[in-house]
Amino acid sequence: MPYLNVLIPSGGRSESDPVATRKPRYEVSETENAYRITVSLPGVTKDSLEITDENGQLRISGKGGPALPEGRVALRRETSDAPFDLVLAHDNTVDTEKIDAVLKDGVLSLTLAKSESAKPRKIAVS
Amino acid sequence: MRFIKFNQTNGRSASPVPGFGGRVSQQGLENELDWLFGTALTGFAGLSRGGQFPVDLFEDKENTYVRAELPGVASDAISVEIVDGALSIQASRKASSGEGNESFARLVNIADEVQADKVSASYENGVLTVTLPRKEQAKPRKINVSVN
Repeated sequence: MPYLNVLIPSGGRSESDPVATRKPRYEVSETENAYRITVSLPGVTKDSLEITDENGQLRISGKGGPALPEGRVALRRETSDAPFDLVLAHDNTVDTEKIDAVLKDGVLSLTLAKSESAKPRKIAVS
Repeated sequence: MRFIKFNQTNGRSASPVPGFGGRVSQQGLENELDWLFGTALTGFAGLSRGGQFPVDLFEDKENTYVRAELPGVASDAISVEIVDGALSIQASRKASSGEGNESFARLVNIADEVQADKVSASYENGVLTVTLPRKEQAKPRKINVSVN
């Protein structure tokens, strides 16, 4: 039910995983040839990040920040170490073979190329 | 076209209940709800809300640590200073709209027993960690109790 998913996204919790997850902040923008998704993931490393695209659902998930070194106690916390989970539904206008991901300074930038059929086409009038 | 997209509205804080009196798309409302839930659970969901960023405070036997989430900020765009017993963190990054810069600042009160001249900072994966060593006498000392 991709349409339902657009209206009600994962809400930071996935059915298969009973552990509470958080939903990272993200932005989506569109150009003529691609969609660009920017996800804020401070403290997340490449190895602790998983990106999948299945059945029209792009999922970005992983563990939260690193565990605290021994002997270090928190006096005040404003950030969360909880695992994160973001599911975005898309229709078939994305070429799933051409998804490009870059993680830099805690920001994940995804570029999803539009499939040829989704690009604007000019139709000549004869 | 069903791909999730929305226009990032920056005036969200000005109108906490959007959509009344104006047209709001489904995606906009979804985003709004996400934000409301996000702030309810974490306080600060991330950067760009009022120019502040979330900060954690830790300590161990030797040091106090201030950890700040600054995603998307280049390490040379961060300035860390000790001013009048407070730690001042300032940062800027290119605005997500692509025009101009966004700047962020936060002042964290630190205890007097910090050795201000030995403070160090590191930045990795969008997270700034400032290490504030405590003065010798401020460290916990073990006192032997002699019982007569």
